Amino acid sequence: MHTVLIIDDSDINLTLIKALVLKLGECSPVLFDNPLKALEWCRENVPDLVIVDYMMPEMDGLRFISAFRALHGRNEIPVLMITANDQKDIRYDALLGGANDFLTKPIDRIEFSARARNMLSLRTGQKFLADRAKHLEKLVDERTSDIREREKELIFRMSRAAEFRDPETGAHIQRMAHYSQIIARGLDLSPAMGKLILEAAPMHDVGKIGIPDYILLKPGKLTPEEFDVMKGHAKLGYELLKDSGSEILRAGAEVALSHHEKFDGSGYPQGLKGSQIPLFGRIVAVADVFDALTSERPYKRAWSLDDACRFLEEGRGKHFDPMCVEAFLAGWEDVLEVRQRFRDEEIPQI
Amino acid sequence: MAGPFVLDRVSILDRLGGDEEIYSMMVDMFLDDVDANSVALANAFASGKALEVQREAHTIKGLLATFSDDDGAAEAQDVEKKAKAGELDRLDDAVGNLQRRLHEVANALRAG
Repeated sequence: MHTVLIIDDSDINLTLIKALVLKLGECSPVLFDNPLKALEWCRENVPDLVIVDYMMPEMDGLRFISAFRALHGRNEIPVLMITANDQKDIRYDALLGGANDFLTKPIDRIEFSARARNMLSLRTGQKFLADRAKHLEKLVDERTSDIREREKELIFRMSRAAEFRDPETGAHIQRMAHYSQIIARGLDLSPAMGKLILEAAPMHDVGKIGIPDYILLKPGKLTPEEFDVMKGHAKLGYELLKDSGSEILRAGAEVALSHHEKFDGSGYPQGLKGSQIPLFGRIVAVADVFDALTSERPYKRAWSLDDACRFLEEGRGKHFDPMCVEAFLAGWEDVLEVRQRFRDEEIPQI
Repeated sequence: MAGPFVLDRVSILDRLGGDEEIYSMMVDMFLDDVDANSVALANAFASGKALEVQREAHTIKGLLATFSDDDGAAEAQDVEKKAKAGELDRLDDAVGNLQRRLHEVANALRAG
């Protein structure tokens, strides 16, 4: 059903045009003898076709069209203007002012029907295109969301692949990723950045894939030479992930390379200091160490929460960025909730 | 001065797509409003407000054209143009003629 707005100060014309509109079929006419009231109606309603007389006392047709076009979303609605035969100049002005076509008085039914139908076809086409665009947008959103979900799953599984060769667990990946997000929030990073670190942090140790088992799984203390090899996992992870088209993987590369740097410059692999260390690396350093300390492993007991917190505080400005430690401790309630949600014995959620 | 009005029902109906229902509705509305339209024109002229005369003449032009009264519509257009130019002093006879024309058309439609 098309809504056809008719504006004419003459009752006889309103009645005639209404009758002609009804003859078109599938049209619902809305009548106004006052253009100002019609304009008010247009603020709340969107007609499919406007038929407006030129000469009206309160506001002529040209001014009406101009005001109508200025309303949001009314720029493409077809407008037919009714003029007398001798008003050629007005027709030119109306064309420039936004009218799509004209009807001359006295109104001829055949001419009226043809022009009105053309305008309504135009409107139908506009609506079809708008609906199609909306449909396509929705489809793209759905597909993009699917792809992002798969990307997240692949990242998680890739991170797990590295961890499988290590005593760490899937729950560790989840906890340290969520701790990283808590720190990002405490540092007032945007929600988008918080989400990015949540998705990138699990890749911090992906480079362990390239470390030989005799070193990675060695029960005792590593020799200095073995430790040098072990330290190579940061660079390996970076090499694996760098230059990706995915923002998450690029962030993962940064985290992999920098999460063993220390704030005082004594870390590896580059010995960066303070703000030279990428922020994501400084954040993940706190999150990863805290979770490693508070988790039980075959070779060690879990530290108490108090001891682990003390370790973080003592490491301010040495191992850790003080701001990141502060942000982590400020989000303590959330930290406890994450610990509760992702326990080692439970199957981790993807 | 326009010639006598002759009702050309065929031509009017042709323009309305042969729709008798719309034709009857238009005739009824014209007859209902003709006195008011005539008085509105006279009052506008008496008030000396050129813009109002122009508008009333414009309305009458449309009404007469609807009933294929080309001569009457031309008279109304002349009044409209002169009013637009502010020449009300030259319209005394024309306004009277237009009022008479409206009633002449009304009578023909009643008889029609």
